[in-house]
Amino acid sequence: MAKLKIEDLEKITEEFKRKMTLREGAGRVKITVHLGTCGIAAGARKIMNSFMEEIEKSKATDIIMTTSGCAGLCSREPMATVEVIGNAPIKYVDLTIDKVKIIFDKHVMKGAFVQEYALSVGSEKIQ
Amino acid sequence: MKPYTIQLMICAGTGCVSNQSFEIKEVLEKEIKKHNLQNEAMVVTTGCNGFCGAGPIMVVQPDGIFYQYLKVTDIPYLVEEHLVKGRPVKKFMYVPPKEEIPIPRMNKIPFFSGQTLVALRNRGMIDPEFIEDYIARGGYRALAKVLTTMSPDEVLKEIKKSGLRGRGGGGFPTGVKWETCKKIPGDRKFVICNADEGDPGAFMDRSIIEGDPHSVIEGMIIGAYAIENVREGYIYVRMEYPLAIKRFNIAVQQAKDNGLLGDNIFDTNFCFDIKVRRGAGAFVCGESTALMASIMGNPGEPRAKYIHTVEKGLYDCPTCLNNVETWANIPQIVLKGADWFTGIGTGDVTHDPWGGSKGTKVFSLAGKVNNTGLVEVPMGITLREIVFNVGGGIRDGKRFKAVQTGGPSGGFIPESLVDLPVDYDELTKVGSMMGSGGMVVLDENNCMVDMAKFFLRFTQDESCGKCVPCREGTKRMYDILYRITKGEGKEEDLDLLEELSNMIVESSLCALGGSAPNPVLTSLKYFREEYLTHVRDKKCPAKVCRELLTFSIDPEKCLENGHGCGVCEKNCPDGAIYGEKKNVHFIDSMKCGKCGVCFDVCKFGAITVE
Amino acid sequence: MINVNIDGKEIQIVEETTIVRAAESAGIWVPTLCYSELFEPYGVCRICSVEVIRGKRSRIVTACNYPLRDNGTKILTNSPRIQTIRKMIMELLLSRWPNVQIIKDIAEAVGVKEPRIKCLERDEDPNACILCGNCVNICKDVVKANVLSFENRGIKREISLPFDEKSDECIVCGACAHVCPTGHIKIKTLGYERGALQDWYLGPKTAINIPTLQAVPRVPIINEEACIKMQTGGCGICSTYCEPEAINYDAKDEEVEIEVGQILLTTGYQTIDLKQMPQYGYGRLDNVYSSLEFEHMLNSTGPTGGTILCKDGSVPRAVGIIHCIGSRDENFHKYCSRVCCMYALKFAHLVKDRTPAEVYQFYIDMRAFGKGYEEFYKRLLDEGVNMIRGKVAEISEGYLTNGEKPFLMVKCEDTLIGKFREIPVDMVILCPAIEPQFDASNIKKIFSISQSPDKFFLERHPKLDPVSTMTDGVFIAGCAQGPKDIPDSVAQASAAAARILSLISLGEVAVDPIKAEVADEYCSGCRICNSLCPYTAISFEEEKKVSFINDMLCKGCGTCVSACPSSAITGKGFTDKQILAELEGILSV
Repeated sequence: MAKLKIEDLEKITEEFKRKMTLREGAGRVKITVHLGTCGIAAGARKIMNSFMEEIEKSKATDIIMTTSGCAGLCSREPMATVEVIGNAPIKYVDLTIDKVKIIFDKHVMKGAFVQEYALSVGSEKIQ
Repeated sequence: MKPYTIQLMICAGTGCVSNQSFEIKEVLEKEIKKHNLQNEAMVVTTGCNGFCGAGPIMVVQPDGIFYQYLKVTDIPYLVEEHLVKGRPVKKFMYVPPKEEIPIPRMNKIPFFSGQTLVALRNRGMIDPEFIEDYIARGGYRALAKVLTTMSPDEVLKEIKKSGLRGRGGGGFPTGVKWETCKKIPGDRKFVICNADEGDPGAFMDRSIIEGDPHSVIEGMIIGAYAIENVREGYIYVRMEYPLAIKRFNIAVQQAKDNGLLGDNIFDTNFCFDIKVRRGAGAFVCGESTALMASIMGNPGEPRAKYIHTVEKGLYDCPTCLNNVETWANIPQIVLKGADWFTGIGTGDVTHDPWGGSKGTKVFSLAGKVNNTGLVEVPMGITLREIVFNVGGGIRDGKRFKAVQTGGPSGGFIPESLVDLPVDYDELTKVGSMMGSGGMVVLDENNCMVDMAKFFLRFTQDESCGKCVPCREGTKRMYDILYRITKGEGKEEDLDLLEELSNMIVESSLCALGGSAPNPVLTSLKYFREEYLTHVRDKKCPAKVCRELLTFSIDPEKCLENGHGCGVCEKNCPDGAIYGEKKNVHFIDSMKCGKCGVCFDVCKFGAITVE
Repeated sequence: MINVNIDGKEIQIVEETTIVRAAESAGIWVPTLCYSELFEPYGVCRICSVEVIRGKRSRIVTACNYPLRDNGTKILTNSPRIQTIRKMIMELLLSRWPNVQIIKDIAEAVGVKEPRIKCLERDEDPNACILCGNCVNICKDVVKANVLSFENRGIKREISLPFDEKSDECIVCGACAHVCPTGHIKIKTLGYERGALQDWYLGPKTAINIPTLQAVPRVPIINEEACIKMQTGGCGICSTYCEPEAINYDAKDEEVEIEVGQILLTTGYQTIDLKQMPQYGYGRLDNVYSSLEFEHMLNSTGPTGGTILCKDGSVPRAVGIIHCIGSRDENFHKYCSRVCCMYALKFAHLVKDRTPAEVYQFYIDMRAFGKGYEEFYKRLLDEGVNMIRGKVAEISEGYLTNGEKPFLMVKCEDTLIGKFREIPVDMVILCPAIEPQFDASNIKKIFSISQSPDKFFLERHPKLDPVSTMTDGVFIAGCAQGPKDIPDSVAQASAAAARILSLISLGEVAVDPIKAEVADEYCSGCRICNSLCPYTAISFEEEKKVSFINDMLCKGCGTCVSACPSSAITGKGFTDKQILAELEGILSV
């Protein structure tokens, strides 16, 4: 291990930022992909990977990506909830990889939710 | 780096480790691999979360789901349900007492929501054996700021302004101590971290060390810089904390490897190094002069402090000794500024460093509360809030009687004073003290005389024996209390206890003797009636002191419920119960040895104890 | 210098003075128990607690180690608060050690009679250890031997040696026994142990001392075996007090070589070791003294200033003086020591003069041979000294049944009345035999002189030449030659000096011509002759690698001549050629 310089402190913080943000449950945007049995069957894993690729491409570090269980609306899977902290979480249904790209660009990065893909606007209790 | 989607924070503080949290981690990793989730779920061991009564604990981030009382056999089910199927498991969650609905999120549980984390800010969030975690959460920034933009005098001024007072119990203003040490001429000075935490039941410092050792190290480096001419630091850890010693050694080594300890830190002229030293099992070595004697290889005995250790301490050089928690607060004060710190707490320290108690304090809440563990709360919070909100109230619905603060050096605070704000001076005014932060809650089934005897037994056993008042005096006091609990006390004994206590407090050589009689003095002050009942009526109202109890059989219950079953008679080791089958049984109080076996075996509650 | 106020008295003291010293200078007594001037204050008994008031703050501190630093400090040594503290501390100590004298004294001084507290660790021994730490501190700080230390914690604390075993590091200096306030530590004598001083002195002396106050020169000597500094490097207190800094611990004995022509030996005598005769009780019983010890007591610069006292300080009621201890004795020395009768009579006279005691003189013959001696003896008879002719068999302890203090019983035979007698006395003085110095045989070898059968040095002729020896140039005088008193010693010494001076004035010494000499060419350097010479006259020259005969020492006995394997040594005037020529001359007639 080399001797640290002050600039190195910042570098390490950056490197581990994503991990820390996830740990703290902090961050600007939280994307939850529903990976219940129905979701997985409908291909939610592909959707999750697609989101992850988008995050990598954008090099953003303030986005948390997590999974949760069945939301209850199995017929509309794959589903994902996007929550910009401070705003209401938006549930998106019937997702495909193309839709993911648009949602990521418009909602996650620019903050305007995509009405046509959304199911509902409003908070949801996590069980 | 592909981000993980879930992080599983397993508590690896000593409490949870002793309850197999390392084994839980192994099984967890195995299960995750089995389900092929190792790229999505990361397992992290952290330091103590504080809710030690509910361990082993695991927190699932980013949602902050809190799991308690985990067993190794629970893990496969948990992984399958929560990680694979996405359904957090209710039966492992926290349920408030007397309620049925669990609270899944950690930050909604009152035990956690009532706390303000400063010294414990990294609690449950970092792996203490991984310096990058500490740095990623803002670690060593304070040091960088200090070494590049502040002069030693500026650092000192900031600490003085913050009003930080010693967290080891003395409550001495840290800034004043640093300043005095700085002013003494000398080109070889020391800083010491006192991690000897000897109070029985206190584990605040241990949690800080096991969870976040770098905060202490960073604090010490900043302190060494501010005092100037300090190139050597010592950390003295009690030998009964092997995990803490291990984590400190790893942390110091990692800091050294990264150039944060040693020569030319951050490419400046500042050089500083730390050595870790172990204690050997003596409470008295938490006293600063005894600690320094121990580091120098001499017997751990205190000496007169008319010449303070900041003037002549380790190897006769000026030495600044501070507690673990004090050091852990330093980086935050430097980063966020003294004004932020003075915004928390009580009083006003702009002109008088003793004018208030600023910042937060970590308490170890123990005894008859529902939520036992470590809590960090702002100074000025009332005892009621700590016991009833954060602590969740008294267990089993019993009545609150008193709270004992400050360990064996502190005193009892009765119910009438439970709205007292917690800070250094308020507690001292009523005869107790904050001490290092131990807080034991007592209910109606605790006998105050017995509690006083318990604490006095500890200090009397740990007395080094050097000076006459402490060595002889505490032993005599203990003998008197022992006789009182055996029913041989006299009323004059109470006055004698008070006189002895006052003399020991005034004339002992060190603070062990100077504070050992506090439990007795406060219990006499607030619970004198209970003492009088012991000596006059030879009875123990809390039903604790064995020799003062009388066991008898309630004839109604025995006959109607138990039908004279005779189980008690069979089990009595003294042959003190007699009676015919199907008839009422009686206890011969002359033969009764007061062992309590009959009380335990009677299924009908027919044995009454008075 | 700063001003402080003690109990209302304003005094000026040097900064950093401790309160107890400041109080001392103001004439105020502060009770102490664990304090001693010999080492750093330990501050554990807390009895010296006093109240110190600086500004508005009042504080209880210990007077022995609190340094006074601030001008205007007020000290109260006996306020009600202090009195309560002191009383309680004494109650604690008294309940644990009720019979220790020093605790009883201080308790009385502060007004505590009976403790109210019962102590489960009560120790009734009047010499109990009270854990004051004096012994540990003096052994650690002053003697620097670090033999004693505290063991265990809390109420179980006690003093011990490492591993509770006898320590080899202990130098038996007695410092711990000296500072122990209760007499718990005692120095036990096991015979002639290290550090014990000669039996000249009545009572213990310090390692650095002036042997007698009438010594010339009047300069102290350091007894190396008893001196702590020379044993462990600690102490050294005497040099801190010596203003001219005359004490040098590193001074070593030097060997000096001087070339002389004549030597006068006056190496003196020693008295017989009285411990060989246990029946007289010397070293075992109190108040049995040798004559030299009694002489020391009589001297006005002695330990009692010239008063005759028993060990317990009382005046003796009767004194027994016994002659011929070891002299005229088949078992020890057959000769008479000559001087004892007269000094014993002197003792009797002085005892009669200074005390009202009865004196009993136990003698065999009264040898009053000199000028005025017989008249002195007569005078003593008139003074009422009891003369008992007979040897003393035994001295033992005697007790009266009415409980009076014990005395010494002298059992003897009174041959003049033909009875055995038992005489009670309070003090016995023994007259030990005079014998040659312990190293007389070594001296003899060095100087090539002989000893007579009584082991004193042999004179050349007992009547006609009592100051010379067989070796030319070596003379003897005084008791080295035989026991004698002062007038005779002086006479003999003057004679020897005169002989020496006459030879010096001659400038040359005429010696016997019969000597041996070594022929260097033949000497092989085998050195057989060196050890054979009874007069140690032959030595070996390293450079020439030949033996060499000292003409002054050689007596011409011829031993070396016959022993030399190379025939390198010849007697002067006795070469083979000369002897054969003589034989020829005789036979030719």
